[in-house]
Amino acid sequence: MKTLKIFIVLFITTISAANAQFIKADLQVSGLTCSMCSKATEKSLRTLNFIGDIKVDLNKNVFVITFKKDVPVSLDQISKKVQNAGFFVNSLKATIDFDNIKLSNNTFNYAGDTYKVVSGGDKALSGPVAVTLVDKGFLSSGAYKKYSGPDGDKAGTGRVYHIVI
Amino acid sequence: MKRFFFAVVLSGTICPAFSQELYVNTEPASNMATNSVGIRLENQGYFNPVYKNRTSIETMFGASKDWMIHGTLYASDYYHTQQHFEGGSAYAKYRFLSVDSVQSHFRGAVFAKVSAINNPLPNQEVGLEGDNTGFQTGVVFTRLIHKLALSATASYLHAFDNLGGYNLPSGNARNAAGYTLSAGYLLFPKKYENYNQVNVNVYAELLGKANPGYGQSYLDVAPAVQLIFNSFFRVDFSYRTPIYNNMVRTSANVYLVRLEYNLFNVF
Repeated sequence: MKTLKIFIVLFITTISAANAQFIKADLQVSGLTCSMCSKATEKSLRTLNFIGDIKVDLNKNVFVITFKKDVPVSLDQISKKVQNAGFFVNSLKATIDFDNIKLSNNTFNYAGDTYKVVSGGDKALSGPVAVTLVDKGFLSSGAYKKYSGPDGDKAGTGRVYHIVI
Repeated sequence: MKRFFFAVVLSGTICPAFSQELYVNTEPASNMATNSVGIRLENQGYFNPVYKNRTSIETMFGASKDWMIHGTLYASDYYHTQQHFEGGSAYAKYRFLSVDSVQSHFRGAVFAKVSAINNPLPNQEVGLEGDNTGFQTGVVFTRLIHKLALSATASYLHAFDNLGGYNLPSGNARNAAGYTLSAGYLLFPKKYENYNQVNVNVYAELLGKANPGYGQSYLDVAPAVQLIFNSFFRVDFSYRTPIYNNMVRTSANVYLVRLEYNLFNVF
């Protein structure tokens, strides 16, 4: 019984720690060339409750998003907000803290969603590591074709994302 | 055709560098951000033979990533000795094509406009911006390459009789074709540092209409300058004048001043 209690405590600790695993994201948006468009995009992104801060490079159209601690991050929502502003995600590079993540079979779970490592999973992962999303809605159609549609492999709980490390 | 080619060359001469796509006299294929609202206060007019002017208030709304709608109210002394309320128009645009890459895009949209106006009908031009009751439908394509934006529109216009018992004279065209070609260039800032830098865009637009079967047509050139403050407040200045004109209209030479205020994430 005591062992079970310890296990439960450990389990809960692991789950809450999991919420702090997404640190930031470098989001490049395509189709933007005016500061009015960038501002509309930033305002749209700021409505998301898990976004702490956004710093924008207006010349490169890169939005550096810092995530709030302990609020689950939804990458789909980021893509949706960019599209609502009238633009598209050209690339999304998320920095994830791998200290509390256990990779099994090139797959890990976060906030109920499944993340599959398409390539680079053989590296020793610890601390903050930048990963690139290769799902539809997170990269240009040309780059998406390069990964020959990883959306096909949908086995997993929740939304199944595909990443390259 | 020769004249049209001349007009294209001329517009290139007036504005050697082309710009952004927030056109002053036309709409681009791109839409506003979802849930944002734009409010425009506009005054346009002419000085010969006497000074007359029209004021309009326009509200724009980004309904979704692909749809946007406008509603406009008009008042002028164009057809009366005093300013009076002329009616309104509604406009909707649907973006059906987006080919985007970093700092460039090619977009296509279809649009439709309806208007209800109570003015007399002494002119041959069919215009839904305060002159005619009618509808318009068309297609617009916009190509943006970094600081340069090019856009072309083709549309069909149909005039009904105006409200207030003003019927379209029997010899007048009810059906018209509209076509525009616009170019814009971001002049300042040369390099973006923050949202508060004043943006200066310059535009050259060609605005044409024809009444097929009536031998009536015109092509205007409309240079414009635009200032954008704090990335949400916009001021436009434009003056349109004909390259050629054989259509009776209120005035061929018209100035335009517009203020636009944008609000993001209103709903």
